[in-house]
Amino acid sequence: MSKRRPVVAIVDDDPRLLESLEDLLESAGYAAHSFSSAGSLLISGLSGVDLLITDIGMPGMDGFELRDWVKKVRPELPVFLITGRHEIADQDRARGISGFFRKPFNAEVLLAAVDNALSNRNMEDDHES
Amino acid sequence: MIRIWSHRPQFLHLGFFAAAYVLGCGFAQSLAIVPGTGISIWPPGGLLMATLILASRYSWPWWVLGGLLAELFSNVLWFHSPLPAAVLIYAGNALEAVAGAWLVIRICGRPVQLETLQEVLAFVVVGAGIAPVISATVGSATLAWFGIQSQSFTTAWPLWWIGDATGVLIVAPLALVVLQNWRGKAQLSAAQWIEACVLGLIFLGVAALSLSGYLPFAYIIMPPLLWAAVRFEFKGAAVSLTVLAVITALFTISGASQFAGDPESRKHNQVMLQLFLAVSAFSALIVAAISRQHQLAVLTLRQSVEELRDRERELSQLVNMVPVQIRRLTPAGEPTFFNKRLIDFFGLDVGDLDKPGMSRLAAIIQGLVHPDDAISLLETARHSFVTGESFSMKYRMRRADGAYRWVDGRGEPLRDQHGAIVQWYVISIEIDDEMRAQEALRDRERELSQLVDMVPSLLWRLSPEGEPTFFNKRLIKFLGLDMADADKPGMSRLAAIIEAAVHPDDAASLREALNHSFVTGERFSKTYRLRRADGVYRWVEGSAEPLLDESGRILQWYGLSHDIDDQLRVEEALRRSERQLQQLIDTVPVQIWCVTPGGEPAYINKTMMDYIGLKLEDFDAQQGLAGAIQTIVHPDDRIPLERALTHSFSTGEAFELKFRNRRWDGSYRWTEGRADPLRDESGRIIRWYGANVDIHDFVTSQEALRERERSLWELVETLPVMIDCAAPDGEPLYRSRQLREFLGYELEELDGTGKSRLAGTLDAGVHPDDVAGVKERYAYSLSTGEPYARKHRLRRFDGEYRWVDTRAAAMRNAEGAIVQWNVICLDIDGEVRAQGELRLAQESLARASQAASLAELSASIAHEVNQPLAAVVANSHACQRWLTAEPPNLERAQKTVERIIRDANAAADVVSRIRALFKQSVETRHATALDTVIADARDLTAEEAARRRVRMDVDVEINLPPVALDRVQIQQVLVNLIRNGMEAMDTITTDRVLRIRARRRGNAVETEISDLGRGVESPDKIFEPFFTTKAHGMGMGLAICRSIVESHGGRLWAEKNQPHGATFVFTLPDEVGAE
Repeated sequence: MSKRRPVVAIVDDDPRLLESLEDLLESAGYAAHSFSSAGSLLISGLSGVDLLITDIGMPGMDGFELRDWVKKVRPELPVFLITGRHEIADQDRARGISGFFRKPFNAEVLLAAVDNALSNRNMEDDHES
Repeated sequence: MIRIWSHRPQFLHLGFFAAAYVLGCGFAQSLAIVPGTGISIWPPGGLLMATLILASRYSWPWWVLGGLLAELFSNVLWFHSPLPAAVLIYAGNALEAVAGAWLVIRICGRPVQLETLQEVLAFVVVGAGIAPVISATVGSATLAWFGIQSQSFTTAWPLWWIGDATGVLIVAPLALVVLQNWRGKAQLSAAQWIEACVLGLIFLGVAALSLSGYLPFAYIIMPPLLWAAVRFEFKGAAVSLTVLAVITALFTISGASQFAGDPESRKHNQVMLQLFLAVSAFSALIVAAISRQHQLAVLTLRQSVEELRDRERELSQLVNMVPVQIRRLTPAGEPTFFNKRLIDFFGLDVGDLDKPGMSRLAAIIQGLVHPDDAISLLETARHSFVTGESFSMKYRMRRADGAYRWVDGRGEPLRDQHGAIVQWYVISIEIDDEMRAQEALRDRERELSQLVDMVPSLLWRLSPEGEPTFFNKRLIKFLGLDMADADKPGMSRLAAIIEAAVHPDDAASLREALNHSFVTGERFSKTYRLRRADGVYRWVEGSAEPLLDESGRILQWYGLSHDIDDQLRVEEALRRSERQLQQLIDTVPVQIWCVTPGGEPAYINKTMMDYIGLKLEDFDAQQGLAGAIQTIVHPDDRIPLERALTHSFSTGEAFELKFRNRRWDGSYRWTEGRADPLRDESGRIIRWYGANVDIHDFVTSQEALRERERSLWELVETLPVMIDCAAPDGEPLYRSRQLREFLGYELEELDGTGKSRLAGTLDAGVHPDDVAGVKERYAYSLSTGEPYARKHRLRRFDGEYRWVDTRAAAMRNAEGAIVQWNVICLDIDGEVRAQGELRLAQESLARASQAASLAELSASIAHEVNQPLAAVVANSHACQRWLTAEPPNLERAQKTVERIIRDANAAADVVSRIRALFKQSVETRHATALDTVIADARDLTAEEAARRRVRMDVDVEINLPPVALDRVQIQQVLVNLIRNGMEAMDTITTDRVLRIRARRRGNAVETEISDLGRGVESPDKIFEPFFTTKAHGMGMGLAICRSIVESHGGRLWAEKNQPHGATFVFTLPDEVGAE
């Protein structure tokens, strides 16, 4: 493990969920940056962010749009989508996407997926290097 | 006999007469020269005749009786004749005296004074000539019959006749003189006395000488006898004759006389003696009578001259004293004399104006007559002087003081027996005053005449018999004819005029009234119709009074007819008006009464009589007013009424009181009584006029009204609404209790602040943000009269601004003018806030509806639940990790646990909320009219339809039966179907029409929602869950709709719409069908 803790950005309009995710990620040894909307994340910028977890249903830019935007700017940045609306998860566009979670999500699985995603990215970085 | 007795002479006179008679008989006896005859001068005959001449005829029997007694007594003494012979002789003597006296009186008339020759001759012829024939005849016949002293009738008769005649001639004048002048004084002067004495001496001397036979001729005595008769008239003659008779008797008896002598010549001597005495007496009496007559003539002449002188003096005085100016002119007309008055008038005498070369007349006329009159006077006078006609003229003469005075001059000629003019007398009388008076009289007469014609009355005059003699001009003008114009033959003028000018109905009575007046002289007065010139009959009042002379005889009737037609008509109108007023008074529904100033009832009208069921007489029978009050006034009101009436009667103030009056049916009813005094010119009260009005219904309705007003007021005060009334200019007049309590101050507290009440209220109460708008709207409404309505914030007494809804409307009178503004103010603060919340909820619902259908709503619910669940899960995991870390981070764990609890509770809340929603849905199924649900759904989607440009046609059958349904669920079904339809038409370009129909179908109500969209391809599949044709649909909506409909016992299906589009139909059983 490196000295630098990976940074995870969290975007959700529900402060309760932001608190709980931040607490969970910190308990797993990540640095969590919370944003209450997509807009505030865009203002803050993506530099230093290793992973993005965003809610889908939000006022203003929603989770899908934020993911599409991020893929254009930093295609390698892993983006996890979470939603409380199961019908969205059932839609075609959500099917087959990795990193998609329904609320209430399994914390172990989420952490494992985060850990996995960050590991893969490190490997790819190594490979490229 | 009584008459004779009453004319009985005094016995004393009768006694003297009888004595004188006896003496006469004795004298006759002594002179009976021829013995045996006993016939001689018979003085008693003259005595008796003179006595009868002087005595009244009725006393004659007494004197005759006295004479009888005296002669019978003398017969006893001297004659010694047998008694029958004596009585017969006396009868002859008495008859002689009676006849003589009667004839003398008859011829001379009483009193017999023998002062004229005629009387003396009558006395001599009748008394001394004819009367002795009777006594001589009777006496001689008696002597012859009885053969006394052997006398034959023929021898005795002449002696007897002459004896009686001499007796009468001598004694009767003396007796007359003595008896007539018995008390007369001797009026002889001293010269007459001397003459009488001288005559007496001469007479006695001559008588003595002649009768004693010394002088041969006895008749020598005549001159002195006649002297006595001439100078001393009857007295002288009578006394001389008596003296002569006595002397003759003495000398004859003594025989010294020439009548004495031998017995043969005795008879002759006796005759001669008696003849001597008779001749003497006759002569003396005649001469005395002539002398007397002469004396009387002389006396009369002297008196006449004296009288003439007096008369001339008087006339002269008269000529100067009479107020007439007199002048005398020559036949040629030259003035010769002016009387004193004329001289005084002119101040000059007749000759003072003489001028040479001019006649005196012309000079005087020119100088003294008014120049205007001078010429005509001169001409008139000259004309008269030439013709001899008298003249008369009025002219002016100049008085001494120069003033001209009117005179009336008249000239008359004085003619002698042959008709020649001796002189002219001209008189003039001052008539200046008369002329002026006449002028004044003429003026006055003209004035009177004008007056008579000008007075606005018809004047007329009738003769005492009633014939018109004068009509004044007005009457002529009125009638159009004068008195004579109506004349008809055979009819009096009055009758003709009455026929022509008086109304036929009035003519007879007028004629009768006039005739009555003419007969009785009473005043005439009558009203009748007179025909005016234009043929119109006018009522006139005619009256006439008679003018009487001093003896009360009627001279004229003066009449006046006054046109009273208008007056009569006015009176008629007045009577009519009075009758109408009476009817009015009797028919007005007001009780009218009238009392005297003392309060005694004087009149009540019919309404009042009917009302109280009493008549005025009933009051009188019950002690007047007090009785009336006792009878018809409620016991509780009697004292106040009496007090009020007494007060009014004593002070004269108007009376007004409400009291209860007893009606005819015995019920007491409220009455309002009023009375005012009627005063005369001096302000004294004549009558009190009052009116009672039954105000019972009014009073009771007023009470009810007051009660109603009070309840309304209470209503206004207690209504949970703030109410305000304002004047037309907006100034508040009244505020209800609610408003006052809300504001916390009274209306009056706004006064005196220098602001109007309205401005004060608005400035103090209305929220500063609202006040400008409120004022603007108020001003607008006040100026236009339009209703006001505005919501704004108003400051409550505690300082809190609360929303109020203020509405105001103008109250107008019949003319449409604003009388008052009525304002209500509702505290809608709660409603406004609730509405705000409602609006928020509606907005979120709308948002939710817009975002998703009912299926999406359920997804949202799941999301709501998942959100806290996700937080709980994440936190639980974190907590586990903090606890399992080395060393465990308890602080963070603790914090995390707190969040877990919090989020879990939030999740539970969500669940309970959803549960509550479901629970409500199940229980709220009520019988509801489907049309209202459809209307709600339409309203909910109206905004969206407008946005999508969809027209909605709603066609709901009336009288749909109520359906038991859950309003919210069915509403959701409708909204869902409507929205599906609208979405289906998004792509079409033609008319977008959504039709909603609801109608009864058997025991169910069928509702159709049809669109013109692209239609449904598989009507069966679309109701399956998760089947969707929409890009964002979940395919849950129609499935839920079907489940809702089916849970209500109905069916939902879809049909194809021709030519395109889809129709969704669902049924809901009605209440009957559902059970």
